[in-house]
Amino acid sequence: MSAVPATLEDLPEMAKCAVTINVNGTEHPMQVDAPDRLIDVLRDQLSLKSVKEGCSTGDCGICAVLVDGKLVNSCLMLAAQCDGRRVTTLEGLLEDPVMKRMQGSFIANNAAQCGFCTPAMLMASWDLARHSPEPSSEEIKVAISGILCRCTGYYQIIDSVRQGCEKGGR
Amino acid sequence: MSTLELYTPTDLNDALRFLEHDGGNSAVIASGTDLLPRMRRRQISPSILVDISAFTEDLRFIRRSDGTIRLGALTTVTDLLESPMFYGRLSMVREAARLFGAPQVRNVATVGGNVCSAASSEDLIPVLMALDAKLKLASARGERTVPLKDFIIGKRQTTMKPSEILVEVSFNEPEGNSWTAYEKLGRRNMLILAMVNEALILSLEDDLQTIHSARLALNRVSGKIPALAVETSDFLEGKRVTDQTIVQAQKVMESELSLTSDFRGSGEYRTEVAQVYLRRLVERCARHIGGSS
Repeated sequence: MSAVPATLEDLPEMAKCAVTINVNGTEHPMQVDAPDRLIDVLRDQLSLKSVKEGCSTGDCGICAVLVDGKLVNSCLMLAAQCDGRRVTTLEGLLEDPVMKRMQGSFIANNAAQCGFCTPAMLMASWDLARHSPEPSSEEIKVAISGILCRCTGYYQIIDSVRQGCEKGGR
Repeated sequence: MSTLELYTPTDLNDALRFLEHDGGNSAVIASGTDLLPRMRRRQISPSILVDISAFTEDLRFIRRSDGTIRLGALTTVTDLLESPMFYGRLSMVREAARLFGAPQVRNVATVGGNVCSAASSEDLIPVLMALDAKLKLASARGERTVPLKDFIIGKRQTTMKPSEILVEVSFNEPEGNSWTAYEKLGRRNMLILAMVNEALILSLEDDLQTIHSARLALNRVSGKIPALAVETSDFLEGKRVTDQTIVQAQKVMESELSLTSDFRGSGEYRTEVAQVYLRRLVERCARHIGGSS
């Protein structure tokens, strides 16, 4: 996992595939190239810029989104493989009460430094909060273990997640 | 510039028929968590990707019958973690799944993909090797079953033909006085490729002190190939579980392993860690067997 990834343009071109992906509740019929990854269509075709590209090799987790309710790295999934599936990005959860609470907790605890990892951290935290109203520090660490914060403000993030979960504020 | 194409077969048979003709230029893609980074690094350059990820109905399952556990090739690592099957004697499967990648990777990474990657850092291969897992490979001409220990023949090299797809991994459920354990060392706890990983299945005689059988597998024994530590395993058989046995087994292991250095760690360090893990694994298994009987 050490080599510098080739740029998207370096990948060979290919025939278009017609897919329909439900993104944040809306069906999006679109044409994708075979090497297009989910992150490419989310950012470039649908302008969902909360989805960041970091390492492109599954190490940093900054591109995390939900596919059929499961947290995945959108840089490691072909867009064509998402045909007929349901994708959720941070933009789709802005009005969600659990996400609002989590976002408020991140703000209150200064959990964002440069902010680049924040959307992915919020997605992972939201995913945890749905299943675990009162997570332990260990559970929180596991939940965010796939996302790297290069400012290394992990303690603020862990505190935020704890308080952002349903019973964590007590 | 060559074009990369995606073939989305309608079912497994369609995929197999396609591979029968175009297998040589193709790569089978399931979750892609290993394949896509390798393509981006230009380590492999298939001209066609054959996407089998949709065949979850046929290839994603964990079944137990007649003492055998069968895992469909598209079973995800999260599926292993969430299964009730891997507590008790088979808890090393759960341990390996827990230390596998990170949640986003575990949610999609498949058992079949991990096995077919055949890299010396895969978490599941030593575990499945210790369990003497069998692989069911399908092709348009039929199926064949090969033991995992014979499947991996080199660094990222397997005996799988371009026309084949791995469809199922199976192994016998340990019985009686046996237990399994797994250890992994990386530079951090999560989202890390193993420097050393080591899996053991240990069976004791009814006296609960004499080793009936042992199968120890590591991510590398010689070179960069995951394999069974046959000499070390054989040495343990018939011995009593004592400090002396373990010290002697560690010496056997030291001569059996020929580990090379790379950016993750030196060969000497890996060998040292592997010996420490041998002690932990034997002691953990023996303790559980004593406690569970």
